[in-house]
Order: sequence, then C-alpha cells, then structure tokens
Amino acid sequence: MYHTTKNILSLALYAGEIMLQNGAETYRVEDTIIRICQAYNISYVESFVIPTGIFVSVDQGNADTKVVTFIKRIKTRTIDLNKVSQINDFSRKVSVSNLSVEEGMEILKKIDTLSKYPKKIKLFCSGIASACFGLLLGATYIDSLSSFIISILVYISVSFIEHLNSNLFIQNFIGGIIAALLAILAVNIHLGINIDKIIISSIMILVPGVAITNAVRDSISGELLSGVARSAEAIIIAISIAVGVGTVMNAWIYLRGGIS
Amino acid sequence: MLLQFVFAFLSTIGFAVLFNIPKKAILKASFAGGIGWIAYAFSNNYFHSPIVDSFIGACIVAIISEIFARKFKETVTVFVIPGIIPLVPGAGMYYTMMAVVERDFNKFALVGSETMFTAGGIAVALLIVSSMTRMIVQLKTKFKTIKSSM
Repeated sequence: MYHTTKNILSLALYAGEIMLQNGAETYRVEDTIIRICQAYNISYVESFVIPTGIFVSVDQGNADTKVVTFIKRIKTRTIDLNKVSQINDFSRKVSVSNLSVEEGMEILKKIDTLSKYPKKIKLFCSGIASACFGLLLGATYIDSLSSFIISILVYISVSFIEHLNSNLFIQNFIGGIIAALLAILAVNIHLGINIDKIIISSIMILVPGVAITNAVRDSISGELLSGVARSAEAIIIAISIAVGVGTVMNAWIYLRGGIS
Repeated sequence: MLLQFVFAFLSTIGFAVLFNIPKKAILKASFAGGIGWIAYAFSNNYFHSPIVDSFIGACIVAIISEIFARKFKETVTVFVIPGIIPLVPGAGMYYTMMAVVERDFNKFALVGSETMFTAGGIAVALLIVSSMTRMIVQLKTKFKTIKSSM
C-alpha cells in the first residue's frame, strides 16, 4: 500500500486539530500526530503544538524527497472530551491495524461530527451539578433549588453569548453578572436564605476545570509554553467571573446603603 | 457522610455531562469525584485547613483516575477533570471578591492567599500523582526488559 506523504500528514493533522479544538493536552496532540505518522512508516516526524496552533514537519528520509511542513492555526476551542477519547482510541487502532488513509479520514470525519449530549440533558445536568454542589457547601434545600434554576439560566445565557463571536472574558463576565443578579432576586422573593452559597454554587459551572488540569499536565510533560498559556486562561476565567459577580454585588450594596 | 457522597457523586455527574465525557466513563468519573470529596471531608475533620484537605482530595481523585485510565483504556483527563471540580475553591474565590467589594483588604489578603494556595494544592496533587505514575510505569517496563533479558 502506498500513500503520499501529504495524505498521511493531512490525516495526522486532522486528528490533531480535532483533539486540540476539543480540550486535549498539547503533549497528547503531539504524541497522536507522531504516532499516526509513524504507523504509516514515515521515518522523520517532528510536531510542535501550542494551544493556538499545530506545526508538523515530516520527511521520508530519502535523499531525493522534500521535507513537508504544515501549519494549522486553531481558532475556536470548546470542551468535548468524548471526541478526545475517541481520537485517542483511533490512534491506538491505527498503529496496530493497517487502515488505509481514506478509511482513516472517514473515521475521523465521523468522530468530528459526533453530537454532544442533547441540550436539554445538558441544561438539567448543569442544574444538578450546581444544586448538589450547593448542598455540599451546606446550603439549605431551598437554596439549592434556586441555584438549580439560576445555573440553568446562566448556562443558557453563556452558551447564547458563545455563538455571538465573543471572547472568554465577556462570556464569564456576563455569566457572573447573571448569577449574582438572579441570586439577589431569589433571596428577595424568599427562594433562598444564603445569597453567598447560591452565587458560589451557580458560578461553579463556569469554573475552568479543564484549563487547570491541562495546565498542570502540560507543565509536567515539559510543555512549559502551553502550561503557562493554559494557566493564564484559567486565571482570566476566574478573574472575569469575579469581576462580573463583584460589579453586581458592589452596586447592590451601594443601593442598599450597606451590607445585608 | 453517605449523603455527602451522594451529593458529590451527583454533582460530578452534572459536570461530566457538561464536559461531554464519554457515556461509559460518566459513572466512573463520578465515583472518583465522590470518593475525592469524602477524602476532603475526612481530612477536614483532622486538619481544618482547606489547603491540605484539597491536596488530599485531589491526590485521591488523581490516583483513582490513573488506575481507571489504565484499566478501562481511556484518557486520564476524562476522569480527573470532572473529579476535581467539587474541590475547586469556588467559595474562596467568591469571598476574596467580596472582601474587595467590602474594601476589607486584610481579609482580601487572608482569603485570597488561602484560595490561591488551595488551587495550587490541587495542581500540585495532580502533578505529583501523575509524575509518580509515569515513573512507576517506566520502572515496570525496565523490570520487564531486565527479566526478559535474563
């Protein structure tokens, strides 16, 4: 079976692109690209991945072949760990069975179009996550009921803003504002007692868990650049949530003339 | 304590769905999250320090996740990411921010540094556990090659 270097490279690059866009660590993306290329007997592969781009160079190792280099810029990033896990399986499969590049492309396209969980289930789960987290913190049942509703509304609004070509800061900022506003409203209509616990549990769905974990895992693997970039991402998210909530609370305290 | 486990379990299920964890891994990840929280609560009884507690909780989550990842052939992050979310100091973040709003900068320094160290504790726990696993795996393969050469 003969495949051109370019075909193999585009297969590997496509796999890497899907992984990086859906929240994989950068060292895992590099590994996957190298593993796929080596499965097709490319002797020289070098890949360099940062959270915003992929660079790959391959060479067949003969004196007369040219070095092929691809650069892929990653612009949008979401979190879909199912796809990451699927591609990980795929790269394992490629190295043991001899799939043709076309078959590989078919599989990757299928993985790329895999649907996420239905929206309704996601909304319900964001509510459950917040409500149960509130109970862990020692909120009352009625508090957790209101944080259930609030976090669903926060999730709806944040995912709506996400489609408006917005950035990380504004999404989490608005999420924080909505959580704080609704928590104040809930306490004032007696749907809860502890305003702090309602807010804390509602903003938990915005917390940058993936960024924190990936920052640590990248730093361990020696990917210092990605580690720093991802920690910065986590800090930006945390600060923007805090600024959002803080703005509302500050205004509220000012209007009430004191801390309630 | 059982109730705490159930709440942590359900909460982790919620986060797992938000991160699109594969269906077959959701319950396992939630189990890791639940046990991690129990470890956190237990150590809270002894140490009364959120930094140490989060460190211990995150260690437990990371160890369980590494074992599950090896056993079920999944990526480690699938279990770690939802598992550590209940330990993330959201409350500390909120109280830090409120200290700024109340213009109480002593409290800001106190709560803020504690929150930062708590987050750092979680990070260090993940760091230690996964580097240890790498070393153990390396050691195992070395032993195997020595054995096969003998």
